[in-house]
Amino acid sequence: MGAAGGTIAPDRILHDMADLWVSLGKQGEGDAGVLRACSMTLVVAAEESDDAQAIGETLAALMPEHPSRAIVIRFRAADQRSLAARVFAQCWMPFGHRQQICCEQIEIAASDASLPDLAAVVLPLTVPDLPVILWCRSPRLFHLPAFSQLAAIAQKVVLDSAVFGDAAAALAEISGAAGAGHLLADLSWTRLTRWRELVAQIFENRAQLANLPLVTDILVSHRAAATPTTAYYLAAWLTEGLAKVGDHPRVRFHSDGGEPAWRLSLVELRAQGSADAIASIALAEGHAAEVRVGGLVNKALLPALTDYALMREELAIPGRDPVFERALAAAAKLALS
Amino acid sequence: MVIFGANGDLTKRKLLPALYRLAYERRLDAGFAVLGISRTPMTDDQFREKMLASVKEFLEDSPFDADVWTAFAQGIFYMAGNFDDAALFPALDARLKEIDAARHTGGNVLFYLSAQPSQYIPIAQGIAAANVGKGSGWRRIVIEKPFGHDLASAQKLSAELHSAFEEAEVYRIDHYLGKETVQNILALRFGNGIFEPLWNRRYVNHVQITAAESIGVEGRGAYYQEAGALRDMIQNHLSQVMATIAMEPSATFRPDSVRDERSKLLRSIRVMKPDEVLRNTVSGQYGPAHIGGEDFPGFREEPGVKPDAQTDTYAAVTFFVDNWRWAGVPFYVRSGKHLPKRVTEIAIQFNAAPLAIFNSDETTTAPNLLILRIQPEEGISLKFLSKRPGSGMTLRPVSMDFNYGSSFGERSPSAYETLLLDAIIGDATLYTRQDMVEASWAVVDAIQHVWDETKFEFPNYAAGAWGPKAADDMLARRGHVWRQP
Repeated sequence: MGAAGGTIAPDRILHDMADLWVSLGKQGEGDAGVLRACSMTLVVAAEESDDAQAIGETLAALMPEHPSRAIVIRFRAADQRSLAARVFAQCWMPFGHRQQICCEQIEIAASDASLPDLAAVVLPLTVPDLPVILWCRSPRLFHLPAFSQLAAIAQKVVLDSAVFGDAAAALAEISGAAGAGHLLADLSWTRLTRWRELVAQIFENRAQLANLPLVTDILVSHRAAATPTTAYYLAAWLTEGLAKVGDHPRVRFHSDGGEPAWRLSLVELRAQGSADAIASIALAEGHAAEVRVGGLVNKALLPALTDYALMREELAIPGRDPVFERALAAAAKLALS
Repeated sequence: MVIFGANGDLTKRKLLPALYRLAYERRLDAGFAVLGISRTPMTDDQFREKMLASVKEFLEDSPFDADVWTAFAQGIFYMAGNFDDAALFPALDARLKEIDAARHTGGNVLFYLSAQPSQYIPIAQGIAAANVGKGSGWRRIVIEKPFGHDLASAQKLSAELHSAFEEAEVYRIDHYLGKETVQNILALRFGNGIFEPLWNRRYVNHVQITAAESIGVEGRGAYYQEAGALRDMIQNHLSQVMATIAMEPSATFRPDSVRDERSKLLRSIRVMKPDEVLRNTVSGQYGPAHIGGEDFPGFREEPGVKPDAQTDTYAAVTFFVDNWRWAGVPFYVRSGKHLPKRVTEIAIQFNAAPLAIFNSDETTTAPNLLILRIQPEEGISLKFLSKRPGSGMTLRPVSMDFNYGSSFGERSPSAYETLLLDAIIGDATLYTRQDMVEASWAVVDAIQHVWDETKFEFPNYAAGAWGPKAADDMLARRGHVWRQP
């Protein structure tokens, strides 16, 4: 639907969307019609080289729980300004129902040079009165100067610091942006939810809770040669929590080597002079973790996390996540220390 | 129906397609006739051909039926003439008698002024001088905005019209009032029991009325330069919409009963003192921008516009209504060219719950809003908070939507179809009366006088943005923010 010369008019896109709904309504079987669902605008900024099919599948999987107007912008590194757009619908039929539920999707192809034009295109395409979430899948885009104009439209920007390269620099940058008032989310933090749940479950036991102030050392082992942001986040979250009981343990990181680089392999809480850890959680075979507390060993599920699972969790928190914000600030300090 | 300015855009794009559609729906009498008048010499057949092309091009959401057109076209006539020429009007009278004899129109004539506003007075004077405003049947005159360019000129225009027509015969058309959603405001407010008890200062925090256009002046720079957003939109369309939103219930749905209430409301709008104007209004003008890969000129670069023009292509005003129902409730009204999207809507923001008992962040304190969408997708939305499924008490804003297009399986008539039919049957409910025009001019003149004496730093917003920052600041001073429609 891109006009000649690589230009797009937001009004045209909105008009095409209106036509799309009319045609969907006519296609609906019998009187069931289609149900238009929308709880937010989800803007996805991705590289042209990014797997389009995977993004499409992730969005399709997200829609039943987080029905959104999805605006997928695929960038290619080019000096010439060019833009093109098309609209279509993502529909599904809930089990046992006769009515299709549909969400609209807009795909925009853009060159880097046209990034400064994009905010004026995306702004009118956002759904009124609903949150706008920007999922930036590429650190290169995040670093483009004009990206801030696009980010300014969104209430929240979702990033993945795991792909940023240097963890300390990434955390400093994200923490700086958060400090400047931007509402950010980091999928590297979201990957820790299950680890944090396992730690929290250990100390739900009153006997173990009493051991918390005894923790003097935290060890976080990871696969990558360099400490990833997930390791810093977990350590920061633990130290933040322990500080509440007046405990200020030492933190060590250790590399086991292996893939994927962001994956953690062990977290261990120790008391000084004790041969055994107070508690540890280690990555085990398959999608499992081995949880050791005192002499007891348990297995717990630690499922592999897809983009869908991570975004599903992030989109459930359209506002501020104060726990993440505190962990981010602490992780940035930890990485720079 | 006599159309002055029959060769103009309005006739081609709106009037003839609307009349054809009324004929298609069999809403017009079999003897209905159209007599077009403009300066261009043309025969009846040439005019019919031209109108056929227009109807085919501009007919919206409706099939074209050649048989209906053939019957309808038999009643289309044309005469060439200059509106300043006194000889035109006796000739018009003679032609009307001919048509009446041929088509049995009963002597009823609806004059439609689709000409340049500067020609309204010569036309009115010509009609009065030739006594064409009176006849064996009813005679009415429909005029398009602008109804003057200030209070004094509006009063002068009215006096000239009254030399040929009674006020009850003057139909000042405001096509916004013919839109289904604007009419539906009355149905929503006065046909339901649940809204009216909330419709007052106790529950309504503020009201925002937005009429945004995504395009610039599109070749109308020379005209627009003299008008501006305040006069072109707020004085007429938006003040009428505001009156419909805020008026008291009418005792009956008779034309003058409804118009009396609208008029009362317009007269209750506080007229700003000169020192209040710049605090409660914002004038804006768009500058150049690059949007979606395309370069757009600033207003001052548009053809026919002076390079130092002080015209407001954007106007935002905080109105207050001095009556018991609305005292202290701000009505924020804005209109502009080259804003991000074409949209007209009314947002009524209700007061927050008196006590926030849930963990609150910006999403869980979102205000209740009732949105009345006038265009492009006519409908109504009610926004409120709901618990998100799952553990914990997390609130998320949700909305209940009513969409005209999908809720009723039938086509909505265009505003011109509604209004033309009303004028033909003599229902002036949706037309503007002189006292309403004067009341809104009194409010707008007070602002315009101060603006005329102020040198604004234009341009102050880029094409494609939601207006100047000063408009945001105007709301921020009262702790409010503009919605992004």
